[in-house]
Amino acid sequence: MIDTHEHEKKQFKRLFQQQGIDRFDSRLLVLEAFLKLEHHVTINDLVAQLEEDKAHLEKGFVLSSMELLYKFGFATKIEFEDKETQYEHRHLGLHHDHMVCTKCGMILEFKDEALEKQQLIVAEAYGFHMLQHKMEIYGICSNCLKDRSPLVPLHKAKKGEKLIVKELEAGKNMQLRISSMGLKIGDLIEIVSTGFGGQVVIANGDNRMVLGKGMAEKVMVQLFNQSVEQDRDIEGNKDFGEPPQETLLLSRMKSGQEGIVRKVAGEGVLRRRLLEMGINRGTAIYVEKYAPLKDPIEIVVKGYHMSLRVEEAANILVEKIGFKNRKNE
Amino acid sequence: MNKKITLALAGNPNCGKTTIFNNLTGARQKVGNWPGVTVEKKEGKLKFKDYDLTIVDLPGTYSLTPFSIEEITARDFVINERPDMVVNIIDASNLERSLFLAIQILELGRPVIFVLNMADVAEAKGIQINEKKLSQLMGLPVVFTIGNKNKGMDHLIETAIDEIKRFNKGKESRPIRYSHTIETCISSVENQLVESGVNMEGLSRWNAIKILEDDKVIKAKLQSMSSSSEEKIFQAARECRKRIQDLFEDDFEMVLTDDRYGVIAGIVKETVTNLASKRIDMSRNIDLVLTDRLFGIPVFIFFIWVMFQLTFSLGAYPMGWIESAVSFLSLNLEKNLPPSMLKDLLINGVTAGIGSVIVFLPNILILFFCIALFEDTGYMARAAFLMDRVMHTAGLHGKSFIPMLMGFGCNVPAIMATRTLESKKDRILTILMTPFMSCSARLPVYIVLAGSFFSDKAGTVIFGLYFSGIIIAILSGRLLRSVLFKGEEAPFIMELPPYRIPMFKSLMIHMWDRGKMFLKKMGGVILVGSIIIWVLSNFPKQISYSEDYDTKIRSVKSEYAEKISSAGTQEVGSLTLQLSLILTEINHKQEQERIAKSYIGRMGKALEPFFLPIGIGWQPSVALVSGFVAKEVVVSTLGVLYGVGNQGGEALEKALKKSGMTALSALSIMVFVLLYVPCFATVITIYREASAIWAGFNLIYTTMVAWSMSFLVYRAGMMLGSG
Repeated sequence: MIDTHEHEKKQFKRLFQQQGIDRFDSRLLVLEAFLKLEHHVTINDLVAQLEEDKAHLEKGFVLSSMELLYKFGFATKIEFEDKETQYEHRHLGLHHDHMVCTKCGMILEFKDEALEKQQLIVAEAYGFHMLQHKMEIYGICSNCLKDRSPLVPLHKAKKGEKLIVKELEAGKNMQLRISSMGLKIGDLIEIVSTGFGGQVVIANGDNRMVLGKGMAEKVMVQLFNQSVEQDRDIEGNKDFGEPPQETLLLSRMKSGQEGIVRKVAGEGVLRRRLLEMGINRGTAIYVEKYAPLKDPIEIVVKGYHMSLRVEEAANILVEKIGFKNRKNE
Repeated sequence: MNKKITLALAGNPNCGKTTIFNNLTGARQKVGNWPGVTVEKKEGKLKFKDYDLTIVDLPGTYSLTPFSIEEITARDFVINERPDMVVNIIDASNLERSLFLAIQILELGRPVIFVLNMADVAEAKGIQINEKKLSQLMGLPVVFTIGNKNKGMDHLIETAIDEIKRFNKGKESRPIRYSHTIETCISSVENQLVESGVNMEGLSRWNAIKILEDDKVIKAKLQSMSSSSEEKIFQAARECRKRIQDLFEDDFEMVLTDDRYGVIAGIVKETVTNLASKRIDMSRNIDLVLTDRLFGIPVFIFFIWVMFQLTFSLGAYPMGWIESAVSFLSLNLEKNLPPSMLKDLLINGVTAGIGSVIVFLPNILILFFCIALFEDTGYMARAAFLMDRVMHTAGLHGKSFIPMLMGFGCNVPAIMATRTLESKKDRILTILMTPFMSCSARLPVYIVLAGSFFSDKAGTVIFGLYFSGIIIAILSGRLLRSVLFKGEEAPFIMELPPYRIPMFKSLMIHMWDRGKMFLKKMGGVILVGSIIIWVLSNFPKQISYSEDYDTKIRSVKSEYAEKISSAGTQEVGSLTLQLSLILTEINHKQEQERIAKSYIGRMGKALEPFFLPIGIGWQPSVALVSGFVAKEVVVSTLGVLYGVGNQGGEALEKALKKSGMTALSALSIMVFVLLYVPCFATVITIYREASAIWAGFNLIYTTMVAWSMSFLVYRAGMMLGSG
């Protein structure tokens, strides 16, 4: 590693001086900080590292330096839709792909020869001359998988808990009875009360249901946690790529749900309109109802009601989605 | 000598700005949900102590971008006309969102005060605003008002005047500071602006911000003002924009917007408290029914039905009175004026023409009252919400539903109602589509023709016509949108304001405003139109008849005079009856020929080649041409041309059948009537609400569509052998 670093530094000095890049000494500091950090770094990481090295360089300068390093091939840039851009050492000739855990953010590097070969084969089949590639796999790392909560039967849940129905351990008849009550796998429910001889009163969206002990024993549920992945049907949107799963497009939210706006996309006039109506990053948004013809949607933002079409709502990415508890409102 | 002051009222739509304007100036204004209703600046005057105030009601906007004419109008007024004070009206229950506009208004450099309106609603919702703190943070006065109870108006004016005095004595507005990176950018561009020496009239900071936001309007203005220095300024802006893009991965406007909301959040946190325990949301409860999945649309249909019932049944009484008044007038003129051309003009031209329009005034007023009721209570927004899905398939907005629905009654107020649409494209598109909604004046034509030729199936045929009209409107809409109105649709995003009990006074004002418009503008036009039609149908005076009717009449009269004098008393009755019948017939024939040979008749005959391929003879052609004045006239003209006078009814039906007209031909005529040029009044309305070009386009377009459809129907019918 040390040899490579010296090599990099020498190359850096030569190139940068040749190109007459300004503030050469400060830029060298950035490179050194970068080389010190072994993993993928963000601009902020670098600034922190530089602070440690008693070098106070402002963020904008570090950014432009990294861009130069990227340009000259000292660093590769990995841009994520939902995170800050990360830079990584590019020791020419060494390539690897990444797996990203969407829960804890951990990045795993890997290189699989068969995969690499397969990519070349596919490219050739399409008559395509591949120059380079980048691959990222999103998912849950083994640590996070272990942390996932186990399933419990419904009658063991406590009052006030929010749960997701995961499985129905019952024969056909019982399954039919349960589903005829309006309960199915994937439903988000809240325990209203327990007791009364094993009976459980739950809230499924707007509906209240009472399940007897026998039935409740057969419904396997899991704690609904913000950070646990949901079995939600998520529509990939071209602006967002693969959104991490605790977020949804507003157009996919159900009536009664609320969340925080994370990103507002859309072109020109539409985006402006959304912003000036108060729908910006960080705002709480609540879905009041859908129109009788399923379109448009009535939402509550900053304390007032407004409506917008489903296709317009598809431009708003919302996170921290939950069901709002509206008692006397 | 009184001191003169100009105040501009600015604020979001629905904040009660217009109500306050009315309270202050006593003038008439429109309170509406949609921006664009007050696109013209409205001015009023007020005398307060020893001041003469001119108050301007700016268009309601949510922001001051260059993307809509309302926003540009509002900000141009403040920058160019430099009013002494901008009064920012704010809905007290919507402080957070309202501040987004407020901050931008502050940047315009004029003295500002905040008016927290609808304070009672906010209180009922449990929202408490510390106005002293707010005033401190923003560096300007803050007052509470309740517009629809006329409370706080004096305090508002006094505060405004005091603040103006402070500015005259040297107070300066305090700019809002944003985050460090943004401020650096603003400074760098501002420096370039100042260096370049361009006269910014003290608004260098605002102009710098606009240039950084890539505001096309300001950039163009700058380019026209300076000679060569603007390149440096734009370059500085470009560099800043790139920096922001790199640092935040978003463009300058978005980052600045985020900053603005950040500042606002801070202000709101310090000045607003929500007493959750007091929250009652009456509107939400009402909406549980009115926009309910199951009941929403049926309830809406019910309301619309009530509206039409009121309009036509309640309106029937005053209609009757007016009709009597008009005929009374005619009779009097008939009796008291010596026979002359002028008399004929007055009775048959002017009185008949205006009378036929005035008679609709009650209907129109009731219709407008209902519309005003919908708007002022806030139900209009719900109607658009419910109907948007349907309208969207026609390439339109939910907001277009009510105007198009009104088209089934009368196109004139329907087209006037399109004012409520925001986007110009949507407005014009709706205006072009509304005439295909078969208006009530066309119904008599259907009844006569369908009644004659389709007897028991008449109802179905008429329903089919109405339905086809709707389908063709939708198809037209899609066609026109893709061909002529390409580009983005205006976003549907729309506020659903809380339900309000409207002030009766303001309902009346709106109703009368629109009614007055109808009378004034249409009255003049109809008058002119009626005279023209009268001229065309009464000239040339010297008609060479095929027979000498006069001689014939005289001979018949003398013939019968002899018979009667020599007849017994019993026969006198029947002979007199016979005489009158024969005379009537001769008169009708004469009239028929006269019309045929008048200018209008000649026009009809000249158009014969146009109408032949679609199976329409010269008499219906003339009738159709006369329909340009008003669709009701078609029936009376048909009557005259088929020799049964202008009564219509059974006699006409018989005459039509006798004339050799076929069912297919009748159908072709009805289709043509359904689709072709709307009446003169409508065309003039289109001219006023859109432009002469669109009026002309509508003329040609509707006629083309009508002709093509009639052609299809007629030819298809011929081929199917039902000729």
